[in-house]
Amino acid sequence: MQTHEQAELHGGGVADHIHPEPQTFVRKYIFSIDHKIIGLQYIITGFVFFILAGLLAEVIRAQMMHATGGVVDSNTYDEIYSVHGSAMVWLVVIPLLTGGFGNFVFPLQIGARDVAFPWLNMLSFWIFPPAGLMLFASFLMGAPQAGWTEYPPMSLQGQAGTSMWCAAIFLVGVSSTLTGINFLVTILKMRAPGMTFTRMPLFVWAQFATAPLLMIATTALAGALAALFMERQFGVPFFDPTKGGSPVLWQHMFWFYSHPAVYIMILPAFGMISEIFPTFTRKPIFGYKMIAFSSVAIALLGFMVWAHHMFTSGLAPWLQLPFMLLTMVIAIPTGIKIFSWVTTLWGGKIQFTTAMLFAIGFIATFTFGGITGVFLSAVPFDLHAHGTYFIVAHLHYVLVGGSLMGILAGMHYWFPKMSGRMLSEKVGRWTFWLFFIGFNGTFLPMHWQGLMGMPRRVAQYDPQFQGVNQFESYASVVMTIALLLFFYNVLWSLRHGKKAGPNPWGARTLEWQIPSPPHYYNFKHVPTVFAAPYDFAEPLPYTGLEDELTDSPGPQPASSSSS
Amino acid sequence: MSENSSKDPVVHLDRNFWIVTAVLAILSIAGIVFWIVAPITKFLPAAVVEADEIDQLFRFLSASSTALFVFVIGYLLYFSIAFRRRSTDAPDAIGIQIHDNHKLEMWWTILPTIFVVVMAIFSVRIWYGIEVNNPGNGLSVESIGHQWNYTFRYPGVRGEITDAMHLPVGVPVTLQVTSTDVIHSFWVPAMRLKADMIPGTLNTIRFTPKYPGTYQIICTEFCGVNHSVMDKQKVVIESRPAFDAWYDGWVAKNKNASDELPKASAGAVALSGGDAAAGQKKFALTCSSCHAVGPFSQKIVGPGLKGVLHDPAHPSLVNGDPATPDNVAKLLQNGYSGSLGQMPNQTSNGLTNKDIANLVAYLDSLK
Repeated sequence: MQTHEQAELHGGGVADHIHPEPQTFVRKYIFSIDHKIIGLQYIITGFVFFILAGLLAEVIRAQMMHATGGVVDSNTYDEIYSVHGSAMVWLVVIPLLTGGFGNFVFPLQIGARDVAFPWLNMLSFWIFPPAGLMLFASFLMGAPQAGWTEYPPMSLQGQAGTSMWCAAIFLVGVSSTLTGINFLVTILKMRAPGMTFTRMPLFVWAQFATAPLLMIATTALAGALAALFMERQFGVPFFDPTKGGSPVLWQHMFWFYSHPAVYIMILPAFGMISEIFPTFTRKPIFGYKMIAFSSVAIALLGFMVWAHHMFTSGLAPWLQLPFMLLTMVIAIPTGIKIFSWVTTLWGGKIQFTTAMLFAIGFIATFTFGGITGVFLSAVPFDLHAHGTYFIVAHLHYVLVGGSLMGILAGMHYWFPKMSGRMLSEKVGRWTFWLFFIGFNGTFLPMHWQGLMGMPRRVAQYDPQFQGVNQFESYASVVMTIALLLFFYNVLWSLRHGKKAGPNPWGARTLEWQIPSPPHYYNFKHVPTVFAAPYDFAEPLPYTGLEDELTDSPGPQPASSSSS
Repeated sequence: MSENSSKDPVVHLDRNFWIVTAVLAILSIAGIVFWIVAPITKFLPAAVVEADEIDQLFRFLSASSTALFVFVIGYLLYFSIAFRRRSTDAPDAIGIQIHDNHKLEMWWTILPTIFVVVMAIFSVRIWYGIEVNNPGNGLSVESIGHQWNYTFRYPGVRGEITDAMHLPVGVPVTLQVTSTDVIHSFWVPAMRLKADMIPGTLNTIRFTPKYPGTYQIICTEFCGVNHSVMDKQKVVIESRPAFDAWYDGWVAKNKNASDELPKASAGAVALSGGDAAAGQKKFALTCSSCHAVGPFSQKIVGPGLKGVLHDPAHPSLVNGDPATPDNVAKLLQNGYSGSLGQMPNQTSNGLTNKDIANLVAYLDSLK
């Protein structure tokens, strides 16, 4: 074990303290403290849960084929969409974007040898799969049914699995909080020499803005979940109005977390787009500082708008007003980002790789989802649209069209770095186009359904919507085919993909200057940075990387007596 | 664009750029015109005055967003096509190395800000008219959500009405909603309004019916296994005479409705032999956390109960029943949950039938 003093010196180029690379399978691939392995563990686990939650979505679409339902009964349907939503948010999007891509990519990008607290990182990960299994195991005892928001008093009436849900999400929250602390300290303390804040890649900026959200907001959720659990199991009255509790209290606590969580789920994706655009346009990102600072602005504002989810819950009018106005203000930093990305395309030499296609598709769909978000911030419109399929459409535009498209863009971009092999670009192009068409076909008509009077979370619906619903179900099949192609591509390419080499895209951030996959220590010598990464006309702004691609030996572990 | 970062090249926008911009401008205007003339009420009638205002806001939001969206997507596509890497490009060809442009960035901070300010003004104006400055003082109606139906209460009508909520054209309505069990929501798409029905909370919406017809009420908060089918009841907006006839019918029909309340009691409690002293003890242990032994106005959570059975100023109990010992016992058994708050029932309060008899004897002794 390392002492406190040694831990401070770990990585960062101040004084290299190197541990020997673990040799056993268990320490190398299972209980690993290597941020790259942990990142991959998150990504694999996240995609496994994605497949499970995706299967639940298939049942939802099958149920919606007929106005009278009929595939499953109402009770089961309620369980299915509740677990689908909870799993997609907490077991798929958040872990993939922070624990997965965050862990794998950003320590490489800042020239660190690992995160600040590698053992804590291992703990964060190993809390996550059991928590995920607990969430799915709740089906065995009657899964939660009140949606991913689990509003009491409904959730107090819920089946036994609702308590399991509380415990599972609580644990995922602990994992997120630890990850947030870890990332924040790593970015603050472990950047390579010369990597000032304005020289950080934008993905690092995005993680930097996300980490405090993970740390601070998730604790509010933990409080809410603990309260709900105690009320359900021990009758401690927090939320039951017949015992003096307040159902609206839950909504405040839940959304105080879950609105910042919306930005946890999108800021890292913004960061990915900001990496992919310069690489494939062969241009510096337009307005680096504006993009970086707007991430921080969005993160700050994200804490001040939670009650816009509660405009119909009887908020006092004087409370509605600030939440409406602050929510609208978020459109400004978001708009700045979108304009900057679009302008980055101007004058580029654009290469339409699959990653770039997904990044461009992201901008189109996310802009649409962002705009409907502005609609919903206006209280009078929200009075109509709240709790309807318009909300379902909006949230899937930002979470599937935004976060998931970001994840897919990131997978196609960083897969060569993770595996050392290229994904098939031909399959990738099919994946993108089928996904884009299927996605819009599935979710675009839902706006209309919501405005016309279809409430969310229903197992049966008014027959006037049957035609539209069937169209959406068929479109969702197209989206499913795209995702199957993606998984096929990943599995096939792991064995048969073209060898990637260190830098197949000609990208300029640090992770591309070392072998793919990187060796255990990331860098043979910790590099020195002397400029921002995106100037394609200039030589690479790093020194100390000369040995990376040679056969020279890596850094030597300190002698066993010192560690 | 000369005040760029030190070494950025000077940007020349070519003719194609301006042609595309002109085309996008035309498309934007077409989009705006579309939203101004879109026949919204052909698809979904606007049953109340407020619905028209919300539609106005929707038109404004849609029109301005469409204009913006057309430009974003238009440039996204145009730049993608115009600046694609061509087969004739050298493999190491790079784009034009522009880092930023302060003037442009200033403009696209200012323009969205203006957009947001205009939108905020528009939204706040309509919000003010609906939420704050809405008199709604003509007719006061209550709707109570249950698993899984709505009931309605009208001033002067005893008990709860279950068939439909009738409203007269042109009379400002204050609708107060609550729930007896879990959170429901009262949404009438044709009114563009909704309010969550939260147990223990009264939520209010105010509106003025204007377009006669029968409109669906839909629950939009998940409320249990039959949530999907909690959409069978209707709001009926009708002329004043038709409404009055319907209302008078209910007044007559429900004249003696107090015993028909949907939450009617289980078995009656035998009150004879109640022990006022034991009741006083029980009151101190259980009831006194919400009720004082003082006059009606001495409210803790519920009212003061001194003279509850002998107070000519308050002849009725919270649920509308006359204040008699039997009805008090019934209230203690069943509890109350409704527009005036909640009281836990016998089970939640842990009262035996004997306790109830004692409590009634005690309350009766307070004069």
